Formats: sequence, C-alpha cells, structure tokens
Amino acid sequence: MDITKLKEMKSVQERVDEAVNKSHAYQADLNAMVSFIDPSEQIENLKHIDPQAPFYGVPVVLKDLVNMKGTVTTGSSGILENYVSPYDATITEKLRAAGAIIIGKSSCDTFGMGGTNMTAWTGPVMNPYDLTRMSGGSSGGSAVLVASGVVPMAIGTDTGDSIRKPASYNNIVGLKPTYGRISRYGVIPYASSLDHVGVFTRNVKDAALSLEVLAGRDDKDMTSSQLPVEAYAKLLNSDLEGKRIGIIQNVIDAIQNRETLNLFKDLCDQLTAKGALVQSIHLDEKLMHAFLPTYYIIANAEATANHANLDGLRFGVLHEGNSMEESMIRSRTAGFGKLLKKRFVIGSYALFTENQEEVFRKAQKVRRLIVEDLKRVLCEVDVVIAPASAQGAPKFDDVSIDQLSSEYLIAENYMALANFSGYPSITVPMGYVDGLPVGVNLTSAAFTEQLLLNVALAVEESTGIKDMIKEPKR
Amino acid sequence: MNYETVIGIEIHCELKTKSKMFSGAPVAVNMQPNTCVNEIDLGHPGVLPSLNKEAVRLSVLACSALNLKINPVVRFDRKNYYYSDLPKGFQITQQFHPIGEHGYIDLELEEGTKRIRINRLHMEEDTAKQYHADDETWIDFNRAGTPLIEIVSEADIRSAKEAMAYVEKLRNILVYLDVTDGKMEEGSLRCDINISLREVGTEAFGVKTEVKNLNSISNIERAIQAEVERQSALLNAGDVVEQATRRYDDGTKTTILMRKKEGTVDYKYFPEPNIPPIRLDQKWIESIQTSMPELPDVRHARYIGLGLSDYDAQVLISNKALSDFFDKLLKHTSYVKLAANYCISDLLANISQKELHDESYALKIEEMGQLITGLGKQDISSKQAKDIFVELLKGKDYQATIKELNIEQVSDTSVLSALIESVLAENEQSIIDYHNGKDRALGFLMGQIMKKSKGQANPALTNKLLLEELMKRKA
Repeated sequence: MDITKLKEMKSVQERVDEAVNKSHAYQADLNAMVSFIDPSEQIENLKHIDPQAPFYGVPVVLKDLVNMKGTVTTGSSGILENYVSPYDATITEKLRAAGAIIIGKSSCDTFGMGGTNMTAWTGPVMNPYDLTRMSGGSSGGSAVLVASGVVPMAIGTDTGDSIRKPASYNNIVGLKPTYGRISRYGVIPYASSLDHVGVFTRNVKDAALSLEVLAGRDDKDMTSSQLPVEAYAKLLNSDLEGKRIGIIQNVIDAIQNRETLNLFKDLCDQLTAKGALVQSIHLDEKLMHAFLPTYYIIANAEATANHANLDGLRFGVLHEGNSMEESMIRSRTAGFGKLLKKRFVIGSYALFTENQEEVFRKAQKVRRLIVEDLKRVLCEVDVVIAPASAQGAPKFDDVSIDQLSSEYLIAENYMALANFSGYPSITVPMGYVDGLPVGVNLTSAAFTEQLLLNVALAVEESTGIKDMIKEPKR
Repeated sequence: MNYETVIGIEIHCELKTKSKMFSGAPVAVNMQPNTCVNEIDLGHPGVLPSLNKEAVRLSVLACSALNLKINPVVRFDRKNYYYSDLPKGFQITQQFHPIGEHGYIDLELEEGTKRIRINRLHMEEDTAKQYHADDETWIDFNRAGTPLIEIVSEADIRSAKEAMAYVEKLRNILVYLDVTDGKMEEGSLRCDINISLREVGTEAFGVKTEVKNLNSISNIERAIQAEVERQSALLNAGDVVEQATRRYDDGTKTTILMRKKEGTVDYKYFPEPNIPPIRLDQKWIESIQTSMPELPDVRHARYIGLGLSDYDAQVLISNKALSDFFDKLLKHTSYVKLAANYCISDLLANISQKELHDESYALKIEEMGQLITGLGKQDISSKQAKDIFVELLKGKDYQATIKELNIEQVSDTSVLSALIESVLAENEQSIIDYHNGKDRALGFLMGQIMKKSKGQANPALTNKLLLEELMKRKA
C-alpha cells in the first residue's frame, strides 16, 4: 500500500496509532528506535495543515542524526546521549509542513560512521527477515522500521552507501538524490562532502513523493542547489524504450554468488524486453580497488573536524576535569566508542601537514579521477546498474568476509561512486538469495532524479517486488 | 654591535556588518553576554555556515584600498584546534586562497615616502571571548563568529616609528572605508607584531618573536622598544633569541613569554567542504570599487588644494569624524582656513569624540558656518565669535545669539576715532615702537582698543583707521 492509498484507507489517528504501537511492539526484536516522540501535539497541529498535503497525518521516522526542536538527538552516540535539539533541521520543517507525524528517532551507526549499525550506542539493529542478521548501516534503524511495516517512510543519510545497502538487505527502496538536492542543515554530519540525506520507502512512487517534499534550495546550506524541484511522483513513467542501461561489469565479475548473478541476469533480460538498450560498461578496475581507501581517508578527515565540536562544554555529556582542557579530553574519551576514535585518528593522520599531500590531497585527486571515469561512462549510457550487494545481510557473528578480496572491495563497496560524484542513486528490491532479500542499484547523472526514478519504477514492475512488509518473528 | 630591526605586522580587524560571518545572529556591540548567539555560533551538531555577502563586499573594499590583487574565487578552509573559545573545534578561514594578495601602502615619513608591502588579506570568523576569574573561566559567545579580516604585512618595517605609522595609516584607511570602527582599545582592531634583529648590512633574517594582541598605537611603540632591547641584550651577550610568542605587559614595560615555538599545534588546514568555491562577478567587484568612499590620502590632497597647511590637513584626516564634520561645515562657509582652525581647536575642546562620531551634538553645522563667515568678514571679533560659539554649542541659532548677547558692531567712524585717540594718548611708547618697525605694537594697540570698546569695535574698520592715524603721526 503506498502513502496515497494509506491516507485513503485509514484515518490519521488510526495510521499514527498503528505506527506507534508497532514501533513499541517490535522494539524488543528489532531494537530500531532510539527515542519515541509523543505524536499528539503534531496531530493537533495538523489543523494548520492542508489535508491535501502529501504527508498529511502520515507517520514517519527520522534517523537519529536529524535535529527536531525539543527532542533528544543522540546521533546514536554516547557523548550526545542527553542532547536536546534547540532547533529544527530544514528537512524536519519541510516534513512537518507537509503534514508528516514524526513518531521517533531511529538507530544508526554512531554519527552514520559504519555499515553494520553495530556501533550504535543503543546496540545493534536486527534484520526482520532473520533476527540473527544485521540490518546493515548506517541507517539500519530507519531501514527495518520501513521493512517491518512500522512507517511507510523513514529518513536516512548516505555517506558511502548507508541508505542503499540497508535497503538491499531489507527488501525496500532506498533513494539518495544528487548532492545539494536535499538540504543537510540540521543533520549531524559524518563527512560533509560525501553526506546525503535520502529516504526509505516500500515502493518507488513513495520515494518520488518523498523527494518532492524534501528537495529544494535552502539558504542555510550553501551546497544546496537552486534548480527547481520537479513533480517526480506525477511524472513517473516506466517506459524504457530507448533507455540506455549500463551493467557495471567490474561488479558482476567480482560477485561469486550464482543466485545473485542469475537474479540480476533475469532482471536485465526483462529490462531489455521492455525496450531498454542494456549493455556492459567497464569502470577503471584500478580505481575501483582504490574506492575504499579513498573513501576512508576523505570521510574520516572530514569527520575528525566535523566532530571537534563535541567536547561536553556547551552541550552533550560533560565529564568534568580540573581544567577546561581536561574536561574536554575526559568528555571525548568517555563519549566516543573505540571504532570512532580509530576513525578520528586515521582522519587526523591524513590531515597532518607532513602527510596531507601524500594522503588527503592524493585521496582527493583519486576521487576526481573516479568521478571523471563515471562521467565518461554516463556519456554512453543513461543509468548504470549492478546488484546492491553480492548476497543477503550478513550474520552478526560473520567473520568470513575477506576485506581485501575483489568481492568485498568492489562488489560490496562500489556504491560510494554516487557519494564521490554526488550523483543520484537508488536501490530497489531485486529478489531473494538463500531466502534473503537482495537489491539492485541504479545511478545516473547529476540532477536526473526523474530519469532514475522512471527506470527504478520499470525495475519494480519487472521484479514485482513492492510494498513488502516483513514482521519480525523469533 | 649594530642591529637592524625587522618587523612584520598582522592585523585582525572586525568588520562592521549587521550579522555574523556565517550565521544570521546579530554582531554584538556592547550587548549582554551570550544574547547575540544562535545554534551556528555555538557550534551545535548539524549546523552549516552561510557566508555573509556584506563581509565579502567590505573585504573587496579593503583589498582595493590596499592595492591588493583580488582573488575572484572565494574559498574557505578549516583551521583545526581545540580550545574552549572555539565552539566548532575549527575556525573557518582562508588559508590557501586569501581574497587579497600582494598589495602595499605608502607611508609619509620625515625621511620621505616608504612603501610597505602587504602579503595578504583574508577573511575569517572571530572566537568567543573568555574572562578568567580566580579559578573560573566565563565565556561570552557574542563575539563568536564575528566577521574578521586579517591583514599580513611583509617584513618591510624597520622601526617602532614606522610600525606605528603603518598601523595608524592602515586603520585610518579602513575607518574611512567604513569597513571597521577600528577601535583598538575595544579589540575591534588587534595587532600582532613579529620582531627580529639582524646585523646591519646582512641579508638573512634573525630569529623572530611574535608579540601578540597589542591594543593601542602607543603600546606598539613601547612593545617594540622593549623587545628590541631584550633581543639586543641577548645577542650582545652571545645568547640566542628563541622563537616564541610573547605579550607586552604595560605595568613592567617588558614583553613576557607566552609559549615557545616547539610543540606548536598542527592546524591541519583543509578546504571547508560546506562552502563551495564562489566566483565573484567582476561587475560586482567593479561596482564596489567605483563607489569607494574617499580615502584619507585623496582627502589630504583635496585639503591642500583648498589651501590648508599640511599640518592642518593631517590633523583633520587623522580623525575621520572631525574631517567629515569639516567637510559639512565647508558647505556653509568659504573661509576654509578659519573653519579648519575652529574644527581643530574650538570644536574638539567642546565636543567629545563619541558625540562627534555619533553626530549626537546639539550644534547646528549651518549656524556654525554663519559664525565662521561672520568672523571671516570681520563682522564680529574673534572674542565675540568665541562667545557666540558657546551658545551655538547649545543648539542656538547664530542671528538669535547675536541679538541675545547684545553684540553690536561699532562701525561709526567718529566713535572709533575717539577710541583710537584715547588709546594712542595712553600708549605713546607703542607709537614709537611701531614706527621703529615693531609690528607687535600694532597688535597691542588693537587689543587695547577692542578692550575699551568691550569687544564691539568693528575690527576691520578699526584696523584701517588705526593705521591711518599712525601714518599721520609719523609725518
């Protein structure tokens, strides 16, 4: 059931109550919520909102990086465990103006820094398809709340693939639009030049509708675009006639799992049957091996500066020392997990004057080369496509992943392409591998969201997988 | 041994904008602590900077006046360090691409004109202000995020006197541009001075020290003197100068070590990802430049052209508020020299700098203009002018005051001749002195006549009659 249908079928009170009840009922199994927000005041405020507003009385969830005045926003961290936002993020304002009812904040890897959701201060988030498996991250909480049917839409953020990977693991749609399409003001950052705000939904149409609500120029975010926002949902059209779709062959070559490859081949055949011109394209393999290190260097360098504001002095959890400096050190030591500290050390190392040219600046150069390579390919095709993961969600105790294998370096990490370039990218359900959902990912040129959503809709029609709800069962 | 002093100066200058560099919060002037702040100034999680266009405009103005080459693409960088007065844990500044580079100003010194090169001018944000009390530190975030420009000179300055002249001239230019209020004592303009010594005739620079946060022109002189003495004593004793940051202590008139160079922080500068490079429209830059306010040097030349002495012109332009007043006064009188004299002495003696700056005086400029004209035409004596001026300062009109003070010019030649007769009779020696070439005697006699007339004798006419009378007596 899409959002428009939901609004027709159930009253505001019914749909909000249902979402709130489910969010509580599933908490023990999924551990997806960090905090719950009493929706009554927001429902009361609906009298000032046009009932035709796209999200009128629709329950939604914010990733716990998104500020909402008067609510706790922890970033799934320890140091902000007690932080009450004094202001609204721009997207919070936009959602409320569109009538959305924000029922809570969802768990994520601390400050979005991770791909497992296992670094969240409130503990890991479980995958509703198999509670012994991870949700994926960093926007794991939002993903499973949409997948399990708690809310039809949840906000995520995506710095490497933090929306598009969990979407793949949870059988839902995950959209990350072009850098600058949705304002980042008020969203706790990971790495500013790679961070994107996006959405999880259960179908492509809802993703299009959500983008319409969230997109647009914001003077508070200098990187936000002046380009007008299109009527994405209304203009949706799955006609593939003449559309050029490029299979990222490097990713296919790196995937070992036959089932995944077969699913993908079936899908491509169907897209061809619908009139698309499907062909293989190759990205520079050497550059693809450099994706992960390039990403880590840039992301952690920016992150170490971005989170220097967290010192416990003006907000957050203060651990007092004998001097201001000692208080800052104690608060940061107590408030950050081990993994975060590791990332800050890597980021600082990359920025030190004696290393900067060889590490940080070099990573930025490699980033430019990667983007140039993608641009080259997107001159030949309209959209590039590949499985969003080589298989379903890993088990929590899975230590078998070889982090130096091509399958890991390329097939599991290539989606950072869309973060390096800022290009729009969407994950749509593809099918099931060993009984677990696996998604397919599409990426297109800057500000071609309409084209991307159109092709995504065609994919959705081909697989027939939409509006999937998986209630968690032990 | 003979040493040459080598000085470079860094100036931090607060820009006169309504709002902060990267947030919409108002720039605080004498406000309650922590009332002019928003989530951006406090570095709350999730905030992003929005560049203040007016700050860029003022920076373009400053660059143009200081002959700096303007970088048409504005870029910012992060300077990373932890300190309790720095809310974000980094300062947004322009490390790699300053908005202005390679400029200069010319100083008029006794020994002639000297050009001081300016290395760069860049924009950045100010930190919060800390107050230390016993074992507590209080932080006022009102200042956090205030727009700043930093102007860095080359090491072209060779003495305390040149340093003072440089800072004074630079400050005056910035004040004329209305870029800053330039109040050193309030910290809106702050100086850091790099000082080193080298043997006269050598090229290589000596080891420098930096004296931070000098808050007056006279302290610049004293700090440099103290530091030059300290360094030369060290060198003469065969010791070395250690690279360090020092501060000037007004009580002991010495510089005091703050921190040594080793162990300084690595600021890990890198481009600010939240502010994309902004290309300035060449037309916008030109429109700023063509509407540039009159600079002090130009105004000085204009005053010389009007017939003022170099000294008077200097006194006037060194005080922009006074000079602005003078310019307005000239709209109401053509007696330029008299007007300048009145501004420099009588006006300054009676009106505070603050009143002058805020234009909060009661005095009406057009009435003062009439007074100057009256004095110039010798309708009134200078004594009468002073009496009238006292009333004008209260906001009264010129003509009304003349009536009120019962000031009447005695222009009746018979009355004046009688007065002259009686004064000459009483001062025979002065007549002899005058005929022996002592001009002072004439002034004395005039004074006596004015006194006798209670200041009401028409000075021009009296002077003429007196001279005639003296000529007669010579024969």
